[in-house]
Amino acid sequence: MSDEGPTPVEPITATGTAPRNVDGQAIAITVFSSVNWLGRLWLPILFWAATLVARVEAWLGRPPGTLARLSFIHFARWTLVRRIPYNGPPQRKETMTYPRLFFESNFNGGWQEYIDAFSHILTTGMKAFWGTSYGFPQPLPAGPFKEYIKENELVASHFYSAYPQATTTMVLAALKLAPEFKAFKLQNADKSAVDFAEAWREFLTKVQGSL
Amino acid sequence: MSNGSGQAYAFMAMTPVLEGHERELRAYLESFNQQTSPFATLTQTHFARWVIIEDWVNSSAQPTQDHLGSPYLIFTSNLHGRIDDYLDALCNLEQASAIWSHCIGCPTPAGGPALKAYLLHNQLDTGFFVAAYPDASVEQVQASLALREQLIAFTVRSQGMDPTTLKSAFEAEFPDGD
Amino acid sequence: MATRQPPTIDRADIQGDILSAYGNKYDRASYMLIHIDHPAGGQAWLGSLLGRVTNAERWSGPKPETTLNVALTYSGLRALGVAEELLRGFSDEFREGMAARAALLGDYGESAPERWDQPLGSGTGHVLVTIKALTTELLERELTDFKRAVEQAAGVSIVHEQPTQPLQEAREHFGYADGFSQPAIAGVAKHESFADGVPEQEGKWRGLALGEFILGYEDEDALIPSAPAEPLGRSGTYMIYRKLSQDVALFRKTLSEAARFYGHSEEQLAAKIVGRWPNGTPLITSPDRPIVNFNAKDPENNAFRYLDTDAEGSSCPLGAHIRRTNPRDALGWKGLKNAGLLSYRHRIIRRGMSYGPPLPAAASDAQPAEDGVERGLVFVCFNASISRQFEGIQTQWVNDGNAFHLGHDKDFLLGDSSTTNKMTVQGDPPFMLSPQPAFVTTRGGEYLFVPGLAALRFLASGADGTRT
Repeated sequence: MSDEGPTPVEPITATGTAPRNVDGQAIAITVFSSVNWLGRLWLPILFWAATLVARVEAWLGRPPGTLARLSFIHFARWTLVRRIPYNGPPQRKETMTYPRLFFESNFNGGWQEYIDAFSHILTTGMKAFWGTSYGFPQPLPAGPFKEYIKENELVASHFYSAYPQATTTMVLAALKLAPEFKAFKLQNADKSAVDFAEAWREFLTKVQGSL
Repeated sequence: MSNGSGQAYAFMAMTPVLEGHERELRAYLESFNQQTSPFATLTQTHFARWVIIEDWVNSSAQPTQDHLGSPYLIFTSNLHGRIDDYLDALCNLEQASAIWSHCIGCPTPAGGPALKAYLLHNQLDTGFFVAAYPDASVEQVQASLALREQLIAFTVRSQGMDPTTLKSAFEAEFPDGD
Repeated sequence: MATRQPPTIDRADIQGDILSAYGNKYDRASYMLIHIDHPAGGQAWLGSLLGRVTNAERWSGPKPETTLNVALTYSGLRALGVAEELLRGFSDEFREGMAARAALLGDYGESAPERWDQPLGSGTGHVLVTIKALTTELLERELTDFKRAVEQAAGVSIVHEQPTQPLQEAREHFGYADGFSQPAIAGVAKHESFADGVPEQEGKWRGLALGEFILGYEDEDALIPSAPAEPLGRSGTYMIYRKLSQDVALFRKTLSEAARFYGHSEEQLAAKIVGRWPNGTPLITSPDRPIVNFNAKDPENNAFRYLDTDAEGSSCPLGAHIRRTNPRDALGWKGLKNAGLLSYRHRIIRRGMSYGPPLPAAASDAQPAEDGVERGLVFVCFNASISRQFEGIQTQWVNDGNAFHLGHDKDFLLGDSSTTNKMTVQGDPPFMLSPQPAFVTTRGGEYLFVPGLAALRFLASGADGTRT
C-alpha cells in the first residue's frame, strides 16, 4: 500500500444470516417454536434448574461450563411464553393452544458455525431446550436442525450493539486485563527503570492471552 | 423468572401492532443504523433489538394451528443496571414514542411514565438468561476495550526499548490518575 | 460419530488430482482459461477433450506422461447452454463468482477485483483446463497440441494462460515446503491411522466423509450435500482458483527488521509465523529447530495436534498460519472430548502450484534483492461447499482471530495491512509482530465446478436435462 494510512477495513465474520441480523461482528438470532404439553411442564423446571446451577457455580467460583467456554455468546435467553398480555380492543385476545419457546442470542462468528457448535458440542443441552418443541429434529445431524432453526427464525428490523466490533472473547479479555493493568501500574510506578522493565516483561508474559 | 444475571437484565416486551401500521413501523425501524439508533443514547444498553412477528410459524407436527390476531412488535434489550432507570430513559426518547404509537393500547401521548407502564404491562419474564459478563457496565466494557487497544499499541511500540526509555514512555502513555 | 462403512467410490467418474494428488513428479503445469462464443462450438470442443480427461482411477501400469482436467465457471455453464433449472442447482456463491464475493474474502485495496489480472473474475473465462506433465518437453508438446486444437475449433478461444514454475524441494516462494498436509478421507487415504482426518480422543483419528469433498456422497452430517441435479452433480466438486502474488523481498525485509528485537533467530521468527520450519518440520513437533531430513510426506509426521502440549501457543503460536488454516483440535480446550468437531467441516484439499522465478537470496542484508518480477502461488483447492469450507476458513480463520481468542488479528502470512494489526508470538516474554505488511496480494481468481466424467459427457452433448 502506498498511502500513509490505509482506511481500516473491518473483517467480515458475521456470515450466514440476513444483513439486518448483523451489527458489526455481532449476529442476532431470534427464534420462536411451538411447545408440546410435556414442554409446558418441563421447560419451567429446566429454566429454574439451569438458573440455580449457574448461580451456584458462580458463587463457588467454578470454571465456566461448556456454553461459556465456547465464548462466542455475549448474551442469550430462553423464555416460555404462555400468554400474551392483553391491552383491550382492538387487540384480539390471543388463544395460545401451545406455549411458545422464545430464544434470542447475541453472538460472534458465522451463523453456520454457531449452530454447528451447538449441535456437536452442546447436544444434550439442545435436546433439553428444544426437545419438546414441535417438529424439532435431533441436534445431529446438524443439517435438519439448521433447517428447523431457519424455519422458525425471525429477522430483526433493527439490531444494535454498543460495541459492534468487539467480540465476546475481546470483551472478556479486556475486562480481565483492566484490573490487572491497574494493579501492575500501582505496584511498579515507583520502581527503578531496570526493575520496572523486568516487571513489565513479567506482566506481559502473564497477560499475553488477553492482548 | 430470571430477568437478571448479576447486574445484567434481560427485558422483553411484546406489543400488538395497529392494523395497517405494520409497513410504516417496519420501515421506520429499518431506517436506523448503528449511529442513528435510539439505543446509542441509552447507555445502559449492551445489545437490543426490535423484531416484528407477523404470525406464528406452525409445525406440521402440531395437531392444530395457532394464529396471531395481529402482527406483534417484539422488543428485547440486554442491559446493565436498574430496569426502572432504563425504562425511564427509553420512554423519554421521541423515537420510542414514534415506535410504540403504532401499537394497540399505547397511551397518548406515548411517552414518560404512561409509556413505561404500558411496556411493563406487556413485559414477558425471562426463563433462563446467560450473560458472559454479567457485572460489567457498558461504559466499563468500552473503557476496558479502549485500554486494551492502547496497551497493545504501546507494547508493540516499546519493544526493544531500553529500561529508561521504556519507563518514561510508559509514564507518558499512562499518566497518573488514569 | 460411529465409524461408518467407507463408501464405494466410483473413481472412474471423478476427475483426477482431487482424491489423490498426481504427485510432485507432475510439477510442470499450466492453467488455461477458455472462452466459449456459442454453445454448439463449446459443446463440440468439450466433446473433443473428453477422451483425454484424467480420472481418479489408480494407475496400475505405466504412469501417463501428462494429465488433463477441466473445470467450469458459472458463466461457462451458461455459455454451454445449460438449462436454467439445472443452473439453479449450483450454490449461490458459485453463481456469484469470486469477484462478487471480494468484500467477504478481504479482497480490497491492491487485491480488489478491479486490479485483477484480466480476465480473471470478469465472467469471460468459461472453462479452466489444467495440464500437468512429467517434464517440460512433455508439457510443451501437450500445450502445443491443445492450443492448435482450440484454434481449429469453432467458437472457442484461450483468454488467459497461467504458466507455473516448480521450486526446488517443493517449496513455495517464501521458502516453505508445502502441500503435504491434506485431509485424510475415509475410503481414500492409504494410511490406516487417518492422520490429519478428524481428530478424536486418545490421539486417534478417523477419515473424513467423502461427501465433504465430492458431491453425491454422504458428508459429515450423513447427508448428501446440496448439489446440482443429476447428471451434473454426481462425482463433481467445487474448485477455488486463486492467483496470489507473493512479495518475497518484503517478507524477507520485514522479518529481518522485526527480528532485531526478537530474542531468537530470524529463521525462528519466520517459523513462528508459518507454524513450520522451512523444511516442513512442524513447530509443535520441534519448537527450537527443524528436524534434519524431515520427511514431510510421511503421514505419521502429519499426525500432530495442539491441545495436549501447546494450548498456550508457546511452541506453535496460536495465530500461526498452519494452526489457523487447519486447527485440528485447537479450537477446543483441554478436556473437551470432541474438539475436532469445531473445525472438521472446514477442510479443503489443496493442489496449488508456484509461478514465477525464485528470488535469489540477497547479496547483503542491507540490500534485499528486489527484481520487480511477479511471483507467487496459484492457490487451488477443492471442497463440496465453497461457503462453508474455503470461505469459512478465509473469513473466520485467516482474516480474523476471534476463533483463536486473538481478537481481530489476521493471519500474518496472508493478511493485509489495512488495519493496525499484530501477531503475538506467545512466550516469555511475548513478542509482537507489527505492523503487518501486505506480503500477499490477490491477482485474480475464479469459483469453478469440476464435473464428473459422465457430467462432462452430458455437458458436451448439449442435452438440456429438462427432458427425462
